[in-house]
Amino acid sequence: MNVQIFRKVILITAFLSLKSITSAQQKFTISGTVKDKATGESLIGATIKVTSSKPYNLKSNEYGFYSITLPKDKYTIKVSFVSYNESDTTLNLDSSITLNLFLDNKFVLKEVVISTKKKNDNLTKAVMGTETLNMRDIAKIPVLFGEKDVLKTIQLLPGIKSAGEGNAGFSVRGGGIDQNLILLDEAPVYNASHLLGFFSTFNSDAIKDATIIKGNAPTQYGGRLASVLDVKMKEGNNKNFNVNGGIGLISSRISVEGPIQNDKSSFIVSGRRTYADVFLKASPDFKDNELYFYDLNAKANYQINKKNRLFISGYFGKDLLAFGNSFGIDWGNQTATLRLNTIINSKLFLNTSFIHSNYDFGIKIKSGETDFNIRSNIKDWNLKQDYTWYANPKNAIRFGFQAIHHTITPNTFTGTVNNSFPKRGRESLENAIYINNNYKANDNLTIDYGVRFGAFTVLGGDTYKLYNKGVLYDSVVLAKGKAGKTYWNLEPRLTANYRLTEFSSLKFGYARNIQHLHLLSNSTAGSPSDQWIGNSYNIKPEIADQLSLGFSRNFNNNNYELNIEGYYKTMQNQVDYKDGADLRSSIDLESQLLFGIGRAYGVEVMFKKKTGKLTGWVSYTLSKTERKIDGINNGNWYNARLDRTHDLSIVATYQINEKWTLSGLYVYNTGNAVTYPTGKYEIGGQTIFQYANRNANRMPSNHRLDISATVQFKPRKRWSSDLSFGIYNIYGQQNPFTITFRDDPNDPTKTQALQTALFRWVPSISYNFKF
Amino acid sequence: MKKIQFIYILIVALAFTSCEKVIEVDTDGNNNTIVIEGNITNTPPPYFVKVTSSVAYNQSSVYPPVTNAFVVITSDAGVRDTLTYTNNGLYRTNKIIGSPGSTYTLNVTTNNIVYTAQSKMPNVVTLDSLRSIDLKFRNEVQYNVIPVYTDAQFFGNGYRFIQTINGVQDKTYVVWNDNVNNGLVNQRPIRTRDEDVKIKVGDLVKVEMRCIDENVYRYFYTLQELAGGGLGGGVTPTNPPNNISNGALGVFSAHTTQQKSIIIK
Repeated sequence: MNVQIFRKVILITAFLSLKSITSAQQKFTISGTVKDKATGESLIGATIKVTSSKPYNLKSNEYGFYSITLPKDKYTIKVSFVSYNESDTTLNLDSSITLNLFLDNKFVLKEVVISTKKKNDNLTKAVMGTETLNMRDIAKIPVLFGEKDVLKTIQLLPGIKSAGEGNAGFSVRGGGIDQNLILLDEAPVYNASHLLGFFSTFNSDAIKDATIIKGNAPTQYGGRLASVLDVKMKEGNNKNFNVNGGIGLISSRISVEGPIQNDKSSFIVSGRRTYADVFLKASPDFKDNELYFYDLNAKANYQINKKNRLFISGYFGKDLLAFGNSFGIDWGNQTATLRLNTIINSKLFLNTSFIHSNYDFGIKIKSGETDFNIRSNIKDWNLKQDYTWYANPKNAIRFGFQAIHHTITPNTFTGTVNNSFPKRGRESLENAIYINNNYKANDNLTIDYGVRFGAFTVLGGDTYKLYNKGVLYDSVVLAKGKAGKTYWNLEPRLTANYRLTEFSSLKFGYARNIQHLHLLSNSTAGSPSDQWIGNSYNIKPEIADQLSLGFSRNFNNNNYELNIEGYYKTMQNQVDYKDGADLRSSIDLESQLLFGIGRAYGVEVMFKKKTGKLTGWVSYTLSKTERKIDGINNGNWYNARLDRTHDLSIVATYQINEKWTLSGLYVYNTGNAVTYPTGKYEIGGQTIFQYANRNANRMPSNHRLDISATVQFKPRKRWSSDLSFGIYNIYGQQNPFTITFRDDPNDPTKTQALQTALFRWVPSISYNFKF
Repeated sequence: MKKIQFIYILIVALAFTSCEKVIEVDTDGNNNTIVIEGNITNTPPPYFVKVTSSVAYNQSSVYPPVTNAFVVITSDAGVRDTLTYTNNGLYRTNKIIGSPGSTYTLNVTTNNIVYTAQSKMPNVVTLDSLRSIDLKFRNEVQYNVIPVYTDAQFFGNGYRFIQTINGVQDKTYVVWNDNVNNGLVNQRPIRTRDEDVKIKVGDLVKVEMRCIDENVYRYFYTLQELAGGGLGGGVTPTNPPNNISNGALGVFSAHTTQQKSIIIK
């Protein structure tokens, strides 16, 4: 059944593209790469407008490549990219040609821009729920401790909620924190946070841009229910050597970039480390404690020949938190990507990637003669091939495959404490093939449609136990190297854009997403100790179906942009821990799990001002998210923790003059859904709280205002620098981080609720330089 | 340099210093739920079952006793004991004698509802001795007590420890099982989470060790996890899963008990 649908989609796609080919007169192809003239960095998503009697619009892909096939004629080619000067080329197309396009960066930014997109992109493209953030866009927005952070900035967009104040974890359209596919140069990052969630693993100096797609991703993406966050690292300057750096309150950063071969290849190495511990160690009270993280990004590219370009990129990050030598927690991600871009011919572009990612977590405890470690790990090997075929001006077809080998090792004790029954790493294979067509039906209608066909196979090497509501009833012993249960899934996706008028358009989207790996968390916020688990005989793939409808309207010559989107999403096979689950040492983690369904719906409104001295946006989300899990809340629907009815963000940046920029950020949101005690009783002489419905209560709402100012110093020779300072939560609002209940110290027969607020009036200062 | 360091620490401290205040919260819902706490041990009888009801969260912690319940404990050896009401919601056994390896069934009938619970008293794992260790944690020397016992060879043992320091009970729930180190001599110290507890040299520490069955383990394990707190508020709060039917709160525990004391040197 699934296979049949898949075949049909392929046939339809092939038919549509062939139709246009066969009806053609003599046609030729223009193709090439769009690059920054000064640094050689390829420009992603630059708009290329080809005009003769009729205009054609297209965009460079994520490697800067573009291709278009047109009838013999005289054409003007205009290339534009935000904060770059437009370039014009005129040519007589009488043979297929390679045309590399170089754009001049406007050296001094006269105005701050908040989108890399073409001005009316939101009206013409068949994309929904998608935002791209360029690092330059987010540089001036105030953040906690002054650490520019892409994960915190995306939380200011509609439909994306922070997992907690100051937290890098986020939830998209009612999804879990684990339901976001976070990719760093295509490699999945399993825990994108540092320092217990207060910082993200993304060093902004090493990042080129980040795109978030809220559930309507094209079919080349797969593996998570709620969103894709695609983060691309910078390639490095292939003309000149540059050093960039920054000194902040919490951390310092430095990056070096330059050519390997002039104009042909380049590298960038970027490092960041926090140094609270360096200062704290100088104080006798803290000298035995360790508290730091660091990360290192490196990337190099090499132009092998005109048709082939090789990229190597890697990330290495580590966190350590320790009290003397008696207790320590450490965790870290490592990713490595080897990629080959091949221009097979002027119409066919191929990207082959070989990717490794690894996430480690460990606790070390030493007390007296007890000395042990608890460690868990997830390791991936991933091979991908992605073809883009620019069939004709109406159809751009993407197809390819992906194969991932996962090894997931649950919490394992070593040292003087050992598991009573040894734990084994579990292996699995996640394979998928996909096809996607971007079809421009006519001037007003664009449809992006496709299908992803995936298989997840449980591999041998362990015993898989089968449970019914937590009661063991069977087991499967699977020998190493043998394939066990396979789950087959089909993910059809479609997005359509219909242009209503010159300034408005209507959008529709449907997508099915499948998730095979699940993060188990019993804490009310995420923790680095949360464990990943793959599908098994009990755990089935999570499935989400999302329907969305959107309306876009631009005003004042595209300077103002209004986007409204509504969505309804259902989720199947959601996983949660049962009450009182043992997470650290249970003999089989699967015995501690429960399964259920979820639903989420909402409306998102985003109003942007894109140009001028004052830029920024207002984003508002009205939403509802619920779960229904057999064994929790008596099997009734309950609010997900991050079910927050209202979420409002206002972001504004004002460029006073060439030297000074001011910016401000205001957020307001409904409190998280939490479970308060409804009653109390006594067992063994101690008060115990009685709870009724799960997440039926609300924390008080949150709001705060952050401001910052940046002063740009006069550049001297090659040296340029700026200084940013700001205050987080300027009016000192006590936003509840946790609410706990305890006996009143003055009257133990009474109970009181104690609210803890974390961040008030947090100052920040950072100095950034470049030479 | 000293000054910079001071300012730096001040700023970081300001950033991370949490601010606490007591707030009013609105909660409503069920209370006046029946609460049953039954214990039967391997020490000489009588044993007690306490029947009370819960009160609303914002009320005074005075728990109304249930005085008219019909309370019966039966053993798997066929002994049936109808308990006698004493006071404060306490019902006393008359003839049953707790012995390791036996399974006990508790029936509490009140307002025509029967609440049933079952618990098996595990075999005794001997508490051999107590010893103390000192460890440096956050630049303080902390003393902890290690209960010395050898876990039984067969898998599935649960333990609960109750520590009393100079006559004051440590409120931390400490429950362990043999999912790790099955059949080995214990080396784990009893860690306290009670802010009021600090063990010093010269303190008299008394430790009660209970061997508990799986359901009782899960009950107290859940309380231990809920008390854990942690960043972001810890585990999602729930009523601990228990072994009593019909939605009664509390637990019925048939367990063995032993005690030892140590003076910290």
